[in-house]
Amino acid sequence: MKFAKTLAALALGAMAGIALAVPAMSQDGKLIVIITPSHDNPFFAAEAEGARSKAEELGYSTQVYSHDDDANKQNQLIDSAIAAGAAAIILDNAGADASVAAVQKAKDAGIPSFLIDREINATGVAVAQIVSNNYQGATLGAEAFVEAMGEAGNYVELTGRESDTNAGIRSSGYHDVIDQYPDLVMVAQQSANWSQTEAFTKMESILQANPDIKGVIAGNDTMAMGALAALEAAGRSDVIVVGFDGSNDVRDAIISGKVTATVLQPAYRQAQWAVELADKYLKEGSTGMDEKISMDCVLIDASNAEQLETFALAE
Amino acid sequence: MSTVSATLKTAPAGNASALLLVLKLRTFIALIAVTLFFALMAPNFVSVANAVIISKHVAINAILAIGMTYVILTGGIDLSVGSIVGLTGMVAGGLLVHGIPLPMLGVIVYPNVIEVVLISLLVGTAIGAINGLLVTKLGVAPFIATLGTLYVARGAALLLSGGATFSNLVGRPELENQGFPVIGSGTVLGVPVSVIILIIMALVAAYVAQRTPFGRKVYAVGGNERAAALSGVRVDRVKIAVYMISGFCAAVVGLIVSSQLVASHPASGNTFELNAIAAAVLGGTSLSGGRGLIGGTIIGAFVIGVLSDGLVMMGVSEFWQMVIKGLVIIAAVVLDQLQRRLAANTRQG
Repeated sequence: MKFAKTLAALALGAMAGIALAVPAMSQDGKLIVIITPSHDNPFFAAEAEGARSKAEELGYSTQVYSHDDDANKQNQLIDSAIAAGAAAIILDNAGADASVAAVQKAKDAGIPSFLIDREINATGVAVAQIVSNNYQGATLGAEAFVEAMGEAGNYVELTGRESDTNAGIRSSGYHDVIDQYPDLVMVAQQSANWSQTEAFTKMESILQANPDIKGVIAGNDTMAMGALAALEAAGRSDVIVVGFDGSNDVRDAIISGKVTATVLQPAYRQAQWAVELADKYLKEGSTGMDEKISMDCVLIDASNAEQLETFALAE
Repeated sequence: MSTVSATLKTAPAGNASALLLVLKLRTFIALIAVTLFFALMAPNFVSVANAVIISKHVAINAILAIGMTYVILTGGIDLSVGSIVGLTGMVAGGLLVHGIPLPMLGVIVYPNVIEVVLISLLVGTAIGAINGLLVTKLGVAPFIATLGTLYVARGAALLLSGGATFSNLVGRPELENQGFPVIGSGTVLGVPVSVIILIIMALVAAYVAQRTPFGRKVYAVGGNERAAALSGVRVDRVKIAVYMISGFCAAVVGLIVSSQLVASHPASGNTFELNAIAAAVLGGTSLSGGRGLIGGTIIGAFVIGVLSDGLVMMGVSEFWQMVIKGLVIIAAVVLDQLQRRLAANTRQG
């Protein structure tokens, strides 16, 4: 971290902001606009980077934006994309219902949208919706959790933001597996809103109420890391932790034996695939595939953690 | 409220003063009430270990609320503290992981943990000074000035890492920058370091507010700014100082939070300012300035902390936790209004 550099960057940032607002048309006018949730979650940063690099490799110019899970901001960004004359939009949307109108607006303006990571509650509006199979991923994580627990013992579940569809899908995937084992008892279930800080404080309180726990299963990796920090502060290295996403932090914790497993959503590859489909659609008028495409998740444990880097598994 | 004041007016003087006493001690009574409630309802709530954990959680909000109380006492508000928490945490994390590169010398300087702490505190205090200058010299309303720095500091925190987390802040032996996790997870005789920091800061803050000329000036500025200025108080200096105190407090919290997680996340501290304001108001600080006590704020922070930890231990859903917290804050303000009316009536009677 360089203070001088940061100061300069802050000043430049203001100028860059102005520069970005001007449509960056490439010579053939083909622009791909990439819109994801905030990049402060490395998962979305990997998604944006995957889409950007593939688009530039295929000769498109790009604009990368973040809607910060605000449907209103997303709506404005789509307006800007329409105004900029985008050829296609790659979107990780800000809400299954709240995003339908915005995607429809792009379609009406003749701009095809390619959705990644999250679905919208409408078909025929976006050209493609590539979604990780969160349910399948959750059952993988739950199976690894059950095995590490030895099919018995008290455990805690930390769930994601309760208004987020994926939080519910993952939780039900976990329970469809774990609830088959009557000796596995959930003693506490709390939402930590995907947040590391919240997972830390809540885990500390839960540990007080229930010192006799054997495992923690978290709806994403940042919450798993928060829970791990609380367990370590309490000297509880015996507790089994399982996460979801496949972040580099959890990968390192798996390698050092602190976390049992996580589930990788191939965010980087998924975003690249969306751009490939967009390219095909723009050239041939069709992606040649159904609108809804499901990508399977992969279990990451001690056996393959070394191959994981920024949400992509080396082959 | 008209029916309430009507009842109050007809109430006998003896009952009124007893009621007034209860209202004055309302935050303390609320703290005892919620503690008793959870002692009965939540498993393992009554234990030394849990008291330690709750104090640790309260420390984060209470330290912010100390600075916030000073600002509110002058009639201001500081919305930027949550973002300063995020930014100072990122500054500390960045210094530990990447050091300070000096390209002209071709070396990277890695400050030790003490230096990292000092630089982070300086950054927080400097942002507080900017807030103070905006409010005094440029005449920007505190709400707007600190709303501006809220965005700037959060954006700067994200820029420092491009949005990524600085993780594994344990330092490296060859760089002699180990020891950072002590702030968040260290203990002295079983008491967490963060709680010791809270105790020291609360005692100093209470002493300064009640027993020093500076403290009296803070109350004077909030009570009647014009009168304070006419009696020779340098209002601008006092105001700049309180925003610097608030920035400093936020930097302390930034260090504690990133040390606890052994990682600094740029979104850390989001909406912390609201909890700090809630603690101050709950503790009887008047948002119009000039009235409030550091001790009240600390008790207010404990009410919020006991409430959120207790509800988690009972397994109450996140949605209900938010509703209950909101209702408690509203109740506190309603009781505050009630106390003031009653006090006014008693004086008249």
